Amino acid sequence: MSILEVDAVKKIYTTRFGGNQVQALSNVTFQVEEGEYVAIMGESGSGKTTLLNIMAALDKPTSGSVRLDGNELSKIKESDIAAFRRDHLGFVFQDFNLLDTFSLEDNIYLPLVLSGKRPDEMKKRLMPIASQLGISQLLKKYPYEVSGGQKQRAAVARALIINPRLILADEPTGALDSKATDELLRLFGEINRNGQTILMVTHSVKAASHASRVLFIKDGEVYHQIYRGNSTESELYQKISDTLTMLATGGDRR
Amino acid sequence: MKQGIYRTLAWSGIQKNKKFYVPYMLTCIGTVMMCYIISFLSTSPTFRNITGGATMQSFLSMGVGVMSVFSLIFLFYSNSFLIRRRKKEFGLYNILGVGKKHLALVLFLETLIIATITIVAGLFFGILFSKLAELCMIKILDGTATFALTLSFPSIYQTALLFVIIFAFIYLNTLRQIHLTNPIQLLRSENAGEKPPKANWIIAILGAVLLAVAYYWAVTIEDPVTALMMFFVAVVMVVVATYLLFIAGSVVICKVLQKNKNYYYKTNHFVSVSSMVYRMKRNGAGLASICVLCTMVLVMVSSTVCLYIGAEDSLRNRFPRNINLDAIASSAEMLKGQQVQQVKQLVQQITEENNTQQENILEFRTAAMGGILHGNEMLVDESAYGNRMNAMSDIWQIFIVPLEDYNHLMGKQETLSSGEVMIYTTKEMEYTFDTIKLQDMTFNVKKQAEGFVDNGVDSMQIFPTMYLFVPNFTEIVEPFQGLTTNTGRNLLSFHWCYAFDLPCDDTTQIEILRQIETKISLQLDNPQETSYFSISTEGVAQERTDFYAIYGGLFFLGILLGIVFIFAAVLIIYYKQVSEGYEDQSRFDIMQKVGMTKKEIKQSINSQILTVFFTPLLMAGVHLAFAFPLIRKLLMLLGLMDTQLLIITTLCCYAVFGVFYGVIYKVTSQSYFSIVSKIKE
Repeated sequence: MSILEVDAVKKIYTTRFGGNQVQALSNVTFQVEEGEYVAIMGESGSGKTTLLNIMAALDKPTSGSVRLDGNELSKIKESDIAAFRRDHLGFVFQDFNLLDTFSLEDNIYLPLVLSGKRPDEMKKRLMPIASQLGISQLLKKYPYEVSGGQKQRAAVARALIINPRLILADEPTGALDSKATDELLRLFGEINRNGQTILMVTHSVKAASHASRVLFIKDGEVYHQIYRGNSTESELYQKISDTLTMLATGGDRR
Repeated sequence: MKQGIYRTLAWSGIQKNKKFYVPYMLTCIGTVMMCYIISFLSTSPTFRNITGGATMQSFLSMGVGVMSVFSLIFLFYSNSFLIRRRKKEFGLYNILGVGKKHLALVLFLETLIIATITIVAGLFFGILFSKLAELCMIKILDGTATFALTLSFPSIYQTALLFVIIFAFIYLNTLRQIHLTNPIQLLRSENAGEKPPKANWIIAILGAVLLAVAYYWAVTIEDPVTALMMFFVAVVMVVVATYLLFIAGSVVICKVLQKNKNYYYKTNHFVSVSSMVYRMKRNGAGLASICVLCTMVLVMVSSTVCLYIGAEDSLRNRFPRNINLDAIASSAEMLKGQQVQQVKQLVQQITEENNTQQENILEFRTAAMGGILHGNEMLVDESAYGNRMNAMSDIWQIFIVPLEDYNHLMGKQETLSSGEVMIYTTKEMEYTFDTIKLQDMTFNVKKQAEGFVDNGVDSMQIFPTMYLFVPNFTEIVEPFQGLTTNTGRNLLSFHWCYAFDLPCDDTTQIEILRQIETKISLQLDNPQETSYFSISTEGVAQERTDFYAIYGGLFFLGILLGIVFIFAAVLIIYYKQVSEGYEDQSRFDIMQKVGMTKKEIKQSINSQILTVFFTPLLMAGVHLAFAFPLIRKLLMLLGLMDTQLLIITTLCCYAVFGVFYGVIYKVTSQSYFSIVSKIKE
């Protein structure tokens, strides 16, 4: 059974002034299977972030449905939605979104504290994750004291510590240098091989080439998808580049 | 053309930052207004001509000084806040090619605009309200006034000059700040990465110790004289301690809470405690200032209100009866002699002529001297004091009063054998020994008397009084007769006190007093050359206006300064809320993404704001509670004995202030919430 089912999702925004309607998503349908590593690609303005927000239950679709483990997101009560999010979804953002008033350790604990977990249990959960991500030595430091790559790894730890059904990553490499990007993508691959389902929105070909499946969005629809199959990363990289070129030059659908 | 651009830049700079400039300008206008009003009242000729007006004006001219210093500090503070908010804008101008020189010009024009608007508006409202203030003051003094609006050009000039100087200082300070930084720093200054504050145990403990010592003194000091001297020391200590505690102590507390894992990692505490650390680091000084201002307002207003309300009481303490006669004689015998009878007859005759009679007659003889209490030994001879005086609190006023006069006045039937005395001490001082030594005589203290009639002398001086009631008055005072001090004064002076109330109005009372004075000076027999018998008279009716002038002046000044301090507190609070709103905006956005519900966020914001907001008020309350014994003692020196009145006025002031503070909170926190929640849509 699929973890995530996105079915005919449509999103129309009404601009605040003048009441013009803007269609961000017209008809998006896809599924994510357990243990998959899916990248969603598209140009700026193609509706990637809107889609991610809908999947994260931060926003509601105009029509269509999103189901996580069979639960219809739009049916969850407004009051339960934050709790649902923090128990089932892990987030990794482009700009890390770490709180500067917390040490890295406390940042990672934040969702657990909100769920009312005990301190010793939190500690027990953190240790293996921290050593896997290589931040055990940095836990007492504050965000302003560490590098971008280290911040992003802390953010990944924060997403992982709740044992989420799905990790949603929004341009996770967007603010990182190439070395930190490689390191983070390696970690994502490793986490995925341990069975974690990951859904990543990106427009970096390099990031997408690490995924097991790449979806392309254009004009609010899923336009195309590529399965990794047995391809190596560089082969997938090539395929993605070709597809993007084709999308940009307006070639026919294959 | 170029000039025009700078003008536009300056004007739009103010307009774009309306949120900060409007309250700033309102406060400037308020301070200008208050300065003008106080300065106007302190020089107003109409006012000076009213009885008591001159006394009141001398208090007000003190107020002018306080206001000037306060305006400078306060406007400086709020302006530095404004500049901090605008550094990014200046950096941008700088990068876009506006040189620092031109920036200085723009800022100069801005300062000029603000100064002109606020000084003109402030003076306008000042002139408008000065009449109101004048009428209030005249009402306090029971005078009459015309309703003509008057202008005081010297005051206008003085106030305008003061604020031009203040604005010049502010401008120079802004220039200094801009010259010290480069454009990139200016651009980034607002969101520079902030280190987590370190818990500074030493400073926190120092603050706690200072506060504890000051509190301890305030509670334990027994005698009013020491209280008076320690008051200012204690005030300084409490102010310093407040700053230390708010800046360092608060961080220490948060850090301790963070160490306690079971407390810290709870949904309600986690976010609040960790943000509080930063909040306190940034706002510690501001909150301490609010706390000090609150305490000042409360102490000032409650004590001046209390003095004013209790003026009638103090008046009665100072002048026990409507008309008071005090005769000083050269020997104990004369206190019962022929002159005394003569005076009593004269007074009787005059009151009868005026169709009224004496009531509540108070008559007693006494021998007065000053002394230093050393253990159970009262040293009365200055040469014997030497360096045996340990503290001001050892100084006493001593009255030796015949037992028969005591029994007569108090309606008692006490008996004492020779060598025994009864003691009564004022100003809450206690004498605990069983014996008391006076010169070469030792007396057994039979008991403490329950009380004695009020005596003007006691309420006039800061030293406590000891009454010694003795059975054989003339015998005991005998050895002192003829003894003089080093400076040639008589060691002991003999008094005959005679006082009475009159059931008639003030004018008649003043007339009767005048008649008594003339008759006595004309008709009293002169004693023999070597002795003397002179009488001084005092009437309440005449003194009342002066009394009210002093207390009314203090009262009025207290209220005026109280209003100004409240202005200041409001502005500091408002700026704090707004600047925190901007800083917290992004933080709460992140929390929402990580899975905090809006409700939880709102709760967390609420608890933090409430803590930050009401800690100063609570702390001010604690300060006030501990200052209470000191204030009570000081008011006692001013002749106000009514503790209950003081408690009530203090509580009322605190309650009124609390309500006012709550309203400020409501209004300012709304602007905070609107800023924070903008991002949530």
